Amino acid sequence: MSGGRTARIMVKPMPPREPQPNIDISLASDLSALPMLAQAIQEFGTAHALSRDLQSRLNLVLDELVTNSVCYALPDLVEPELRLRLFVDQDTIVAQLEDNGEAYNPFEEAPEPDTSLGIAERPIGGLGIFFVKKLTDSSTYERIDGRNRITLKNAIGGQASDE
Amino acid sequence: MTNENALSVQTERAEKAVIVCPVGRVDGSNVGVLESAIRELLDADQKTLVFDFEELNYISSAGLRVLLVTARRAQAEGGKALFCGLAEHIAHVFEISGFTNILTICQSRSEALAAL
Repeated sequence: MSGGRTARIMVKPMPPREPQPNIDISLASDLSALPMLAQAIQEFGTAHALSRDLQSRLNLVLDELVTNSVCYALPDLVEPELRLRLFVDQDTIVAQLEDNGEAYNPFEEAPEPDTSLGIAERPIGGLGIFFVKKLTDSSTYERIDGRNRITLKNAIGGQASDE
Repeated sequence: MTNENALSVQTERAEKAVIVCPVGRVDGSNVGVLESAIRELLDADQKTLVFDFEELNYISSAGLRVLLVTARRAQAEGGKALFCGLAEHIAHVFEISGFTNILTICQSRSEALAAL
């Protein structure tokens, strides 16, 4: 390998990063996945001119699912994998999160919190999956090829479905 | 954008309370920063806390859990926790969590301080 040319290519500065219309990334398998997620949503939101409300809703629901994966599904795995995909299908935002942990359907197995309890009786926690159900238009779980896949859909410009 | 994912917690002493201002985002990766700042205050006998969320961009259930624990502890120890300056999307999360019914929420810092 005669260095000159290769070296020049290697030191070429990276072009500034454009907002990404589609996101398909591997997230860290620990809580450092959360700032990565926030960054990805910010880029995706900018590329699609999503409202701040929609971006923060999307961030929140994915945050809760990523937190579940990295805290419960992935810690015991030798090669943990956590993949995030975000794209727009017509007027709908589709977010997909996949991990290679043991089969677990959070929508069936996570207990629903009683949000009417008083401050002293209120159990600490249990809100994450509840947020996902409240703040997305649809949320589905599939077990595919040894992976847990959660697909969330939200209409762009739609209101939160939390009535 | 560089610091938007970070969290810092500023505190300010008022006559009847300590004002706690989280700046940035609270999620599971950094909630410990908020938790220890609060614990330090409560352990130092500062039992009346006004949380001013003017500079808070984002909070997940990990952060809400800490707020609930804090309000509960403050109340049990004869103090109080009040919350103000919630951005619309954060107020919305408080609402669906049922926190609006169990926590004291004020429009502004001055309203919160006047309520003490």
